[in-house]
Amino acid sequence: MALVAPSVRTSTQEEVRRSLTTRDRNIAGLVLQVVLLIAVMMTLLILFTLLVRLIGPALPVFGDRGTAFLTGTIGSNPDEVGIWPGIYGSFFIGLGILAISIPLGVAAAIYLEEYAHDTRFTRFIVVNIRNLAGVPAVIYGVLGLTIFVGWLDPVTSGKTVIAAALTLAVLVLPIIIITSSEAIRAVPQGLRDAGYGVGASKWEVTRDHVLPYAAPGILTGTVLSLARALGEAAPLILIGAITGLLPATSLDGPFTALPMTIYSWSAKADVAGADLRFENVAAAAGVVLLALVLLFNVFAVYFRNRFEKKRTGT
Amino acid sequence: MNISKRRLAIAGLISISLVAAACGGDEETAETTEAPAAETTAAPAADTTEAPAADTTEAPAADTTAAPAEGGELELAAGEVFVTGSSTVEPVSIRVGELAAELSGGDLAVTVEGPGTGDGFQKFCEGGADVTGASRPIRDEEAQACADAGIEFVELEVAFDGLTVATSPANTAIECLDNAALYALLGPESEGFENWSDANDLATEVGSNYVPFPDAPLVVNGPGEESGTYDSFVEFAIADIAEERGTDEFTRADYASSPNDNLIVEGIEGADTSLGWVGYAFYKAEQGRMKSIAIEGEDGTCVAPTDETIADGSYPYSRSLYIYVNTASAAENPAVASYVELYLSDQGLIDQVGAAGYVSLPPDRVEATRSAWSA
Repeated sequence: MALVAPSVRTSTQEEVRRSLTTRDRNIAGLVLQVVLLIAVMMTLLILFTLLVRLIGPALPVFGDRGTAFLTGTIGSNPDEVGIWPGIYGSFFIGLGILAISIPLGVAAAIYLEEYAHDTRFTRFIVVNIRNLAGVPAVIYGVLGLTIFVGWLDPVTSGKTVIAAALTLAVLVLPIIIITSSEAIRAVPQGLRDAGYGVGASKWEVTRDHVLPYAAPGILTGTVLSLARALGEAAPLILIGAITGLLPATSLDGPFTALPMTIYSWSAKADVAGADLRFENVAAAAGVVLLALVLLFNVFAVYFRNRFEKKRTGT
Repeated sequence: MNISKRRLAIAGLISISLVAAACGGDEETAETTEAPAAETTAAPAADTTEAPAADTTEAPAADTTAAPAEGGELELAAGEVFVTGSSTVEPVSIRVGELAAELSGGDLAVTVEGPGTGDGFQKFCEGGADVTGASRPIRDEEAQACADAGIEFVELEVAFDGLTVATSPANTAIECLDNAALYALLGPESEGFENWSDANDLATEVGSNYVPFPDAPLVVNGPGEESGTYDSFVEFAIADIAEERGTDEFTRADYASSPNDNLIVEGIEGADTSLGWVGYAFYKAEQGRMKSIAIEGEDGTCVAPTDETIADGSYPYSRSLYIYVNTASAAENPAVASYVELYLSDQGLIDQVGAAGYVSLPPDRVEATRSAWSA
């Protein structure tokens, strides 16, 4: 049988012998290493280009306008517009997502991992959740328009921040469920058994051992999905975020959000006689969006580190 | 175990307090908009500043005090106005709204969105907006929807918009085209033409005076079907011939379409023998990057799009822009009346229309609009 593929064997033998007896470098291995390095550099290059393209045009806006850009409202003149309604909308959309999808998502994950038996029905649910995670965002916009703007109008008052937050919360819910499930599944079985061994109930074990251990993983999934939701413009177009003029911000009135503002500004023609271009303010709004996402992430990382410390027992 | 509980509790507390802080902030901001509407009761004041035309009859309701020179300030009522409708009219409505906020010290709060003429009428006729902008007159079925819902409205012509057929500044071969040529190059039967000369046979067939076209690649850029500018183009250039020939009233589908005017301009600028169309306002703002193509009118002369040819109606591809005002909400909400009056003042119809890149109505049309409002 060993003679079936002698060529492979001899070449491997050759290879081993050469590497042991000569000082030749392993060319193929080196090439692979370089290719992998290039892949990393490409990613870094893209990130760098993105930041330069964003921050470069944004600098004059922050230079000329300073905080007036943060407190002003949207409008027709790039020299006078501001991003306050966008910050307001995106901040409350972010808070809404956190308040709705984390409890719901984690609860669903706990049920699926800790409580549910492996029945056909459970598997059906899991398959559906995984499929939901792959549904394009714009489809969720249609859903939001029908359910949250239409049917739930008494709760959301129509096209408002509340409706947007609910829609985006539903958008990220499957992702949070999946990542939380993975995190909970990664908790060693021995931890649970130890809890049961001293007489703890299922909920006590879940609450005091499984969840703290899984928390860093859950938070990572949450951070990623929150960043995605905050940058999402397509569902907001359908829900009807305002891009024209919005003098007042409120939770139950007309709203806008940062990605919508970026989208609408980048499509506007320059205004004659204005110092700044809409291209610039769109980039500045992009920087603000990045900062907002970063702010939410800092909170999440803070909590994750606290849980990490607890897990390692310090 | 105790420690972990406490930490969880702290985390929970923090998140609760965040939410609480959020709700607090919301109350603060909400109250700013509800300014007492009564304190500046705006009798629909006449704004007859320095109208170039005879400043007489157009005073809406009450006092026709011909204001001295520049001092004709409107009394603006406090309150909220919601404006929807055409994205073409939106820039004017935004500017008038900004002016209203400025003149009233922020008391007259105008919210403007621009989902499109059709969507605007739908919302308007459901009572969801005080004012809607339109880049065409209301259709019968839309008017019927309004009537069914008991919404009464007044139609006000506010500006002209021209549509510009454009090519790259590097294209010296094409100066003027007629409907037949544009039908042959861009109409439903032109699908697959990748060279101007591909359209020669079709153009001859539909009677264009501009054949043969040069032997050069045909790169087409324009707004997508959702745009009012698309509808206008079909109406101006395609519809008549399409009807004659029994084809669909659409353009070809195989062109680079975008809702983003900047991308359309980039496309037109980017190829030497490009062809495309944009709104006149946008052409005017970016005219260094495009060359407009004159359009042959019915009398056989080529007319290029300029402020003058659009205002006097000689340029074939121009259209009127309208706002429709819900008369009930204008009667109940003094802020709506104030906003419309500011819109129809010279500061609106002349200054803001010009600033938005559109062509102001000639004096007699301004007069007609103002009397339509005061009626």
